[in-house]
Amino acid sequence: MTVIEKDVPRSALRRGRRRGAVGSRWTPYAFLMVPVVYLTVFQAVPLLQELRLSFTRTSLLNPGNNEWVRLDNFRAIVEDPEFIRTLTTTLIYVIVCVVGAIGIGLGTALLLNVNFRGRGLARALVTVPWAAPGVAIALVAAWMMNAQYGVVNRALEAVGLGVPDGQILASETYALPAVLATTVWQLFPFPTIVLLAALQSVPKETTEAAMMDGAGRWWTFRAATWPVIRPTVALLAVLMAIWSIRRFELIWLMTKGGPLGSTRTIVIDLYSRAFESNDLGMAAAIGMVGVVISLLLVTGSLIVNRRAEKEAAA
Amino acid sequence: MRATTAGTTARIVAVLVVLGIAVFPLYWMLVTALTRPDELFSDSLRLVPDFSQLGSFGDALAGGEVSGWLLNSFLISVGTMALSIALAVPLAYALSRFTFRGKVLVGLGLLLTQMLPEALLVVPLFAIFRDLSLLNSRTGLVLADSAFVMPICALILKGAIDAIPREIEEAARMDGCRPLTILTRINLPLIVPSLSAAAVIAFFHAWNEYVFAVTFTFDLDKRPASVGLAGFIGELGTPMSTVMAVAFMFTLPAVAFYLFAQKYVVSGLTAGAVKG
Repeated sequence: MTVIEKDVPRSALRRGRRRGAVGSRWTPYAFLMVPVVYLTVFQAVPLLQELRLSFTRTSLLNPGNNEWVRLDNFRAIVEDPEFIRTLTTTLIYVIVCVVGAIGIGLGTALLLNVNFRGRGLARALVTVPWAAPGVAIALVAAWMMNAQYGVVNRALEAVGLGVPDGQILASETYALPAVLATTVWQLFPFPTIVLLAALQSVPKETTEAAMMDGAGRWWTFRAATWPVIRPTVALLAVLMAIWSIRRFELIWLMTKGGPLGSTRTIVIDLYSRAFESNDLGMAAAIGMVGVVISLLLVTGSLIVNRRAEKEAAA
Repeated sequence: MRATTAGTTARIVAVLVVLGIAVFPLYWMLVTALTRPDELFSDSLRLVPDFSQLGSFGDALAGGEVSGWLLNSFLISVGTMALSIALAVPLAYALSRFTFRGKVLVGLGLLLTQMLPEALLVVPLFAIFRDLSLLNSRTGLVLADSAFVMPICALILKGAIDAIPREIEEAARMDGCRPLTILTRINLPLIVPSLSAAAVIAFFHAWNEYVFAVTFTFDLDKRPASVGLAGFIGELGTPMSTVMAVAFMFTLPAVAFYLFAQKYVVSGLTAGAVKG
């Protein structure tokens, strides 16, 4: 060690010792500069502009002319029963997506978590929905649910569950379930693959011992499997929630938020207010409400998770 | 013993049902693309593709419009992949290996970008791109798409660099290597799997992207496939078999590539999310 130190310039050594890292004190900023400037220009600045817009009355047709209206947009939102409905729809959408995707994903993961021939192929095929582009999915889903010639309607009629006139996406009752089914279908492969990986770290001896002791499947799952995969499930829940709050093209292309607002989530509402009602101020205000909800949800779940981890460790 | 056999059979049936549901819509795209247009709108239902109708793929590509969309999608995706990786690598390295002022802020900023819906920033970004004369251009879409996917790439790469022992860098530092050399010669070769995961994710983020593409492009020949395809909705002139042929050609590369890179993508995404 001393031999090496002799060959190295003093200054470099001092720097190295002080910082325990490569380069000078300016090195991290050199690496950071371009990416941070880029994110500032294309994320932070637009976000702040959107925040400013939410306090103005601005029309898409004349965006240069914006009148400062303070909290008027937010007041209008809170008093609008339609917006309460948007919030409820968003809530239903997010909860069903999270529970549905993780539930089906966990079920599929448990099914695939045994050795059989073709397991690799099965695991690959199950990822197909997640890999498929949303636009293509929306198109084929709409075609499958076509009132007259859609395969879904024909199948439902064949088993005696046909909906009136075959109207699925045009019906206030069935549009949301249809959009939800499509979304859950597209999401579930992700939890499946992630949970399949998590299940590998469940010790075989524990489950086998539990089964030997005569514990049923459910008990074995509760006692041996669940504690191991619980943190993964919690993480997946946050990811699924964020992804479903953000989801746009699937809903927009299938129903545009209709019929009569029955599939209108926050993101759909903000987009149609901006580009169909030309009301940029209201759109921005709705968007800000959405951002605050996401932030609360993520910080809330992080706090809950951390507390649960502490309890588990204690 | 008999109980086990019954259990196995039930499991096989359940697996087949799930797989059937998973691939059915993709299969249905293919069946529809390969069905005679008049047969689509009749009372009989064709459940298997009619391979004598393979010409519908040719019909879809005829005129060059659809191949133009696919080419635009490809170019935008390659650009997004290149830009996202080029920016994510230094960002991830700085976050992983250095302490600096504002580190927490940068980390929180990256997390925040994952919560912002594209639709929220579409209006201000439109104004910014108008001022930069980047509307109606592939470059503009590359810049917009990268802004949303680059943070995910950076979180994935940070997780990967975190896992490299610092001692490996130590030796290079003693030899007097500069920080950039250490990053490119020592760290990057060790995180090739995560780099590929980030690259695939960036590519398909742009391939699938719709909101920016539909808002920022006006000319038909500037549009990527997502917008072109969505344009068929409510348009009655094009036969459904042609529409589904286009949808299938747009979906297949995404699915094929994901199957190929699946292992890296999933571990990368979760690692990024867990450690982020």
